[in-house]
Amino acid sequence: MNKVWLVIKHEYLRHVLRKRFIVSVLSVPFFILIMVGIALITVLVMSDWRPIGYVDHSGVLAGAQPLPEQKERRSRSVEIQTFDSEDAALQAVNNGEIQAAFILAADYRETGAVSVIVDDNLSDNASQDFREFLLQNLLKDQPAGIQERILEGPALVFRSLADSREFAENNILGLLVPLVAGIMLIVAINVSGGYLLQAVTEEKENRTIEMVVTSISPTQLMAGKIFGNLSVGLTQLIIWALTGAGGVALVMRLFPEISGSGLDLSFLGLMLITFLPAFVMIAALMAMVGATAAEARDAQQIAGLFSLPVVFPMWFLMVIIEKPNSPLAVIMSLIPFTSPLTLPMRSVLTTVPAWQIALAIGLLVASAAAAVWLASRAFRLGLLRYGKSLSLREIMSRAKS
Amino acid sequence: MTTITVNEISKRFGQQIAVDHVSFSVEPGEIFGLLGPNGAGKTTTLRIILDIFKPDSGEVEIFGGAMSEAKKDRIGYLPEERGLYQDIQLEACLVYLATLKGLTTEEATKRVRAWLERFDLSDDRRKKVKELSKGMQQKAQLISALVHDPELIIIDEPFSALDPVNTQMVKDLLREERGRGKTIIMCTHQMHQVEELCDRLVLINRGQVVLYGQLAEIRREYTGRDVIVHALDGLPTAIPGVLSIQKENSATRLHLAQTLSPQELLRYLVSKDIAIDKFEMAMPTLDEIFIQIVTAGETLP
Repeated sequence: MNKVWLVIKHEYLRHVLRKRFIVSVLSVPFFILIMVGIALITVLVMSDWRPIGYVDHSGVLAGAQPLPEQKERRSRSVEIQTFDSEDAALQAVNNGEIQAAFILAADYRETGAVSVIVDDNLSDNASQDFREFLLQNLLKDQPAGIQERILEGPALVFRSLADSREFAENNILGLLVPLVAGIMLIVAINVSGGYLLQAVTEEKENRTIEMVVTSISPTQLMAGKIFGNLSVGLTQLIIWALTGAGGVALVMRLFPEISGSGLDLSFLGLMLITFLPAFVMIAALMAMVGATAAEARDAQQIAGLFSLPVVFPMWFLMVIIEKPNSPLAVIMSLIPFTSPLTLPMRSVLTTVPAWQIALAIGLLVASAAAAVWLASRAFRLGLLRYGKSLSLREIMSRAKS
Repeated sequence: MTTITVNEISKRFGQQIAVDHVSFSVEPGEIFGLLGPNGAGKTTTLRIILDIFKPDSGEVEIFGGAMSEAKKDRIGYLPEERGLYQDIQLEACLVYLATLKGLTTEEATKRVRAWLERFDLSDDRRKKVKELSKGMQQKAQLISALVHDPELIIIDEPFSALDPVNTQMVKDLLREERGRGKTIIMCTHQMHQVEELCDRLVLINRGQVVLYGQLAEIRREYTGRDVIVHALDGLPTAIPGVLSIQKENSATRLHLAQTLSPQELLRYLVSKDIAIDKFEMAMPTLDEIFIQIVTAGETLP
């Protein structure tokens, strides 16, 4: 056991301490940071916080109330000034005192006609603020309840007939998290798988295998390699998950209306239980390919095939979202390759029957164990075949050697 | 206790029989030669001994029983397929391999440094393995076969890629290890390289044992009727009872007829007043013995 630990430590440290790994781990948070930064900058550039003005010929805004302090929406709104004449308003626009002047026609109540005078263009935030200001003042005579309903719109809660699970329309994060986590899983699988593949083929290419298997058993070596390189991928996954969580927390602070939806986190546990065996299974399959292929380059190409079915549910995303209990969705949540993405996603959308969860996890764990067994077997058989490949039939059929 | 007992092992790969009922034993404290031409089955035999391959039939006992994980720590192995992890530093690579043989990291580091010093590789210990020359890598790999002070050292083709200076160093090293009571198996097709080292040997050809025993006895057994004479002023061109006279550098090789004994030849030469520096029986080299056996085997039906 101690020697397995040595192999794990060796495999782990030689990747983690390498520049390539550090760069690739940091690249994703860095990329996200840049994207968020660009988005923020765009919002800032597009926004114009100079005041706006209006001239009211219709009288609907007589005795207008200013916009109340924003409680939920964006933290700022522009100042709204009133002008007596169009000339005064035009003057203010020309002087750059206000960014735009809204002129309500005398027959506004009938036609809804509003003209806008701007120096270059009207910022989104200013036009939105004026719209709200106008609505609010038009509705000021209505009872508070009606006002609020018209301004806020209906709060839709979807309720499917089959079960009691509710899905709020604005629960974007609920769907987003399993999706993003799924993408991260795929990337982590490819990263660990790549390292693992390299670690296995390298034993053959460097011809160190005879020295190593006369020191420890092939099973010990294989176990050490699988878990060592898996830990590399996990390290990467954890770092990304932490930065992702930090990012989500930041987004929630910036856009508080999203957090109001009450994100249901129960699927996180399910995600963990499905991701880990899937991770082991695919890594072991890749290791098997590494042990059977003659060269690292051959292996790399074949191994890519194993991560493909993991992405499969993405293609049927709309089907799963619309009908989370359809046969297709159920089957995909049972197949070991597709379940890590499908099962957590369905659990957000609907109540997945316990038997399906149990069966899916059982199948995943069994497949993972089988894959590790196959991998160490392929390794034992393929270990001295320098420059030759091994067929799957040989792995399955040869009892000894 | 016998260190290794190989009992009637056979191994075939597809249609080809690599090892065919091979038996021999290796005694503690000796240098044992496992010899034969290329493709004779030497490396396969070693791999079966080391439990890398399972034999189709027959069995191997090592340290008085089947191979176990614990026994692997008592064996040092230099495989024919040379290789170290290319992408890490020399010292780190050797320390890792030594810890796999059961040494603690501290002990492994200490010993690896001492060996690097001895092999003149100290300055290169921070270099990546792939930056080292082939000969340096070979020396480094020899270190990893010896660093855990194994009781049994198995070396496949010990002298390939080594220059004469390093070849001599390795020979001295092996003698020294034998002096410390270690058992050594040397596997090679360069028979002339091991003649001076081996106590006993087994010679394999086409998977079968063709010769097995003490080196000295084998050579005596195959000693023919040749005499080598170093004469100061040359020999007569014809000597009664001598079938052929061949010049070999400074010496002359005489092939005697059945009727003439070496003593009689010497008496004859002395009586002729020929000045003789050296007079010796021509002991065949292992190469010669091998060729003799193989060609004899081929002429048999």
